[in-house]
Amino acid sequence: MHGTNDLILRTATVLISFILFAFSIYLFLAGHNAPGGGFVGGLMTASAIVLMYMAYGERAVSKIIPVNYRFLIPTGLLIALLTGAGSFAFGEPFLNQTFGHFHIPLLGDKELATALLFDLGVYLTVVGITMTIILSIAGDRE
Amino acid sequence: MTSTDFYYITEIVTYICLVATSISLILLMIRAIKGPTNPDRAVALDAIGINLMALVGLIAILLVTTKLNDIVLLIGILLFIGTIALAKFIEKGVIIDRDER
Amino acid sequence: MMSNLAVLPIIIPLVSGILLAFFHTKTPFVRHAAKLLSVISTGVAAYVFYYVLQNGTVTLETGGWEAPYGIVLVADLLAVTLVLTTNIIGLACIFYAPHSLTEQKEKFYFYTFFFLLITGVSGAFLTGDLFNLFVFFEVLLMASYALITLGGEKVQLRESIKYVLVNLFSSIVFVTTVAFLYSVLGTVNMAQMAERVQEVEQQGILTTIGILLFFVFATKAALFPLYYWLPKPYTVPNPVVSAMFAALLTKVGVYSIIRMFTLVFVHKMEVTHELFIWIAGFTLVFGAIGALSTNNIKLVIAYNIIPAVGFMVMGVGIYNQTALSGSVYYMISDMIIKAALFLLAGAVAHVVGTPDLRKMKGLIHQLPLLGWLLFISAFVLAGVPPFSGFIGKLMIMQGGFADGEIAIVIIGLLSSLLILYSIMKIFVRGFWGEKDESITIDKKTVTALTWPVAFLVFFTVLLGIGAEMFYPVVDDISNQLMNPEIYIDSVFKE
Repeated sequence: MHGTNDLILRTATVLISFILFAFSIYLFLAGHNAPGGGFVGGLMTASAIVLMYMAYGERAVSKIIPVNYRFLIPTGLLIALLTGAGSFAFGEPFLNQTFGHFHIPLLGDKELATALLFDLGVYLTVVGITMTIILSIAGDRE
Repeated sequence: MTSTDFYYITEIVTYICLVATSISLILLMIRAIKGPTNPDRAVALDAIGINLMALVGLIAILLVTTKLNDIVLLIGILLFIGTIALAKFIEKGVIIDRDER
Repeated sequence: MMSNLAVLPIIIPLVSGILLAFFHTKTPFVRHAAKLLSVISTGVAAYVFYYVLQNGTVTLETGGWEAPYGIVLVADLLAVTLVLTTNIIGLACIFYAPHSLTEQKEKFYFYTFFFLLITGVSGAFLTGDLFNLFVFFEVLLMASYALITLGGEKVQLRESIKYVLVNLFSSIVFVTTVAFLYSVLGTVNMAQMAERVQEVEQQGILTTIGILLFFVFATKAALFPLYYWLPKPYTVPNPVVSAMFAALLTKVGVYSIIRMFTLVFVHKMEVTHELFIWIAGFTLVFGAIGALSTNNIKLVIAYNIIPAVGFMVMGVGIYNQTALSGSVYYMISDMIIKAALFLLAGAVAHVVGTPDLRKMKGLIHQLPLLGWLLFISAFVLAGVPPFSGFIGKLMIMQGGFADGEIAIVIIGLLSSLLILYSIMKIFVRGFWGEKDESITIDKKTVTALTWPVAFLVFFTVLLGIGAEMFYPVVDDISNQLMNPEIYIDSVFKE
């Protein structure tokens, strides 16, 4: 199928996928006390990656992003679970959370919560699962 | 015109817009189901998405909130990717190329 | 007591499953790691059991949110006993698995899903929140969907589609029922639900919702009108998976029935619990008849799950302390013996090459130990003294006599006879008779397959002979079940 020409799609994808990544990070960080969070952020990231797959084909993208998505699922689960279990060390009940104010260079005084770590686990799991499902279906040969 | 009048008119206009969008959604649904060819259905689905964005926007106006803005953006993005996938499927028969460069 | 102990039996299998997912291609390592982790998990469960036995119910308000608002985990004596039983069965199955599964299946995340199943089951036992119960149901169902299709043979896919659809439907009804309950009671915390139902004396709408909830759990537990989906899907996967399903999945449904109908919906006995007795009676009869109808040994054992569930629900229906003790005792005994029987049938089918009883004879010459284990299991299952099945049934029937439910007791006795016959049929036809020279056995595999079965049968025999030792525990459990205030107070104390 060399006849079709995806030049517009490919050029647009370069721009759009980066916007999508930025938006997904925004959603991920907004999740603490606004609509958003790890789940939606993960879905957005996955859709950005899917867009790249659609524009450039499987071989090229798997060279650019050499990640085994199946590996992301247990990694994410482990991060989320360890965040929850981390409260054991302080004698607090499971899944207890805390937050603090930190001074970060360039950004100034920011509030950081341990819930963010849990969300990171959710984020990774969602990306892993979505990509695994989509790539398995796409890779199905007749 | 006082400001209460202004809010009153805005509300009426928003309700009229909501009804119009709903009617257009119904018509598009008929097209998406009936559509004689697949490209017809693809265009109808795309337009349904745009109408959904409009619907969320109108509801945001009614509720006087900015929390729904992200959702409009989200629907737009998913719609874009969905339309590309549909278009590519109709054009090429595959969505993710396997062996090309 | 407020302690993180309550959550440990959920976390440890979950961590184990996740860790094993990282190494899923290194089969020999994963096998040994799974055995080790399973031993650790059982050890922790045993410790939690001991702790609860000594110090009373342990609760945990997760995330530090107070009881009616956050999700609360309640490790009362019933829950921890069942969690310990689950872990013991898991231990036997893990040691059986490597000799029964093909390496390809093990690579396909078998151990991960296995531990996730245990996580879901333990979570369902420990949670004190109805919506959270639904979540843990989903966790264990997801794992079971993966396990039942593992290998992807044609017959597996055909049967599992039935299994998935039925469970999906009952999950939808479950969530709808929880929504109904929430709209009426304004809470999903079981203890608070119990309080509020008591305040309004369980008006009509609540009884209706209660019966709807009962039918959800009855689908999972395979009670009379809703058992048709159970037997065949349970015979198609690997024996290890069948054993886990038979031992755990239906019992989670029974546990939920026991929990909801001794804690929350206890004010309209003449409607709900009377219904249970009738349904239990039909379940007993139809399950036992089903078990007689086939020559496939796996199917015989799968059908035997159904009357066992009937006995347990009968105890809940009679609802006095003796009958509830019997239900709990029978449930523990039945979980272990069902796992043992499925592993046993798997081993026999593995040796003979088919589960068809008509193609077997004289196996006692080749498999003496397995044969006698089957003999003991049959007695345990049918309830012949002094084995554990007998003690459970005896208590249920004593309770039944005390409440004047003579008809159901007679049905129970008759179906016990049918159950004994259906299992003895396997022993008589398959194990007695002339030696069949055409069957060759691999001594090493058979020994490896026999030990886990012997381990489980040992436990049931212990439950029967050592009844003196276990009876106080079970009596304590049924005392807690008969007095919902104990549960409510343990959640809302301070």
